[in-house]
Amino acid sequence: METDIEELRSGFLNEEFDEVTFEIDGERSAEYALSCGEKAPRYTDPAHADFQAPPTFVSTLVGGRSLPADFPRLGGVGMDAGKGVEWMAPIRAGVTLTGKSHLHDIYTKTGRSGRMIFLVTRMELFDEEGVHVANADTRTVIRERPSE
Amino acid sequence: MSETVTTVSDVEFGAEIPTFAPDTSLENVKRFGKFVGWGGPRFTDHEAARKEGFPGALVPGVMSQGFLGAMIHRWAPSAEIVAIDTVFRAPVLVDEPHQIVGVVTDVDEEAGSVEIDITITNEAEETRVFGTATVKLPTG
Repeated sequence: METDIEELRSGFLNEEFDEVTFEIDGERSAEYALSCGEKAPRYTDPAHADFQAPPTFVSTLVGGRSLPADFPRLGGVGMDAGKGVEWMAPIRAGVTLTGKSHLHDIYTKTGRSGRMIFLVTRMELFDEEGVHVANADTRTVIRERPSE
Repeated sequence: MSETVTTVSDVEFGAEIPTFAPDTSLENVKRFGKFVGWGGPRFTDHEAARKEGFPGALVPGVMSQGFLGAMIHRWAPSAEIVAIDTVFRAPVLVDEPHQIVGVVTDVDEEAGSVEIDITITNEAEETRVFGTATVKLPTG
């Protein structure tokens, strides 16, 4: 039987299910920048006056709980289908960020091999003053098992 | 168009961003794993990845996304990436040459905003990752 997507959406979307804190390590963000091929000193040189993490760095902060504890098992194996970032303000070394996660979207696509369910988990990141500095989205795809 | 741009008025609709060949070497991916994370065997050991059913070790998806950001900053050093969405269509394999191409799909000179489509392809010209980005550039 197909999963009822509307039921999942009404039951789980936009409900915060996790909160974590991160201290931004300047060496880690600089190494991230260098290994990705960044050249700009504001991303690669911790001594630079405008040193900050590249916007995509926030995707590396995701990795804890990605679904609510009571979210139903959908049967298939989840695969990482993509990452999204919305950047609002520079993220500096030494700052402590709070990440609050919720399910931002649930939708399906149907192909030759059947229906796939996409779950978009959004982590909203706030600095110590409560300023919303970024969103980090993780898109997980689950290939639904055919009905027997 | 020059190899780099400084302001939004330097950007032309439809322009191609200079191609970028990311460093997908095992050494670089191990460095990423050591300092950033994603240092598990499927990313840092070809044989271990094959035992998991992959053709070889994988470049972490978050690193591929970082390659796209780096490409934009190499082209537009003053750019602020305000949004980037990345779709992982197929694995980017470690130690295999890849290239990243990008094209400007929209320019709003008044807002200083530029939209870009970016694609990572392998040597067989198969798309592995594609993304879209919105960047802000000085309007001066």
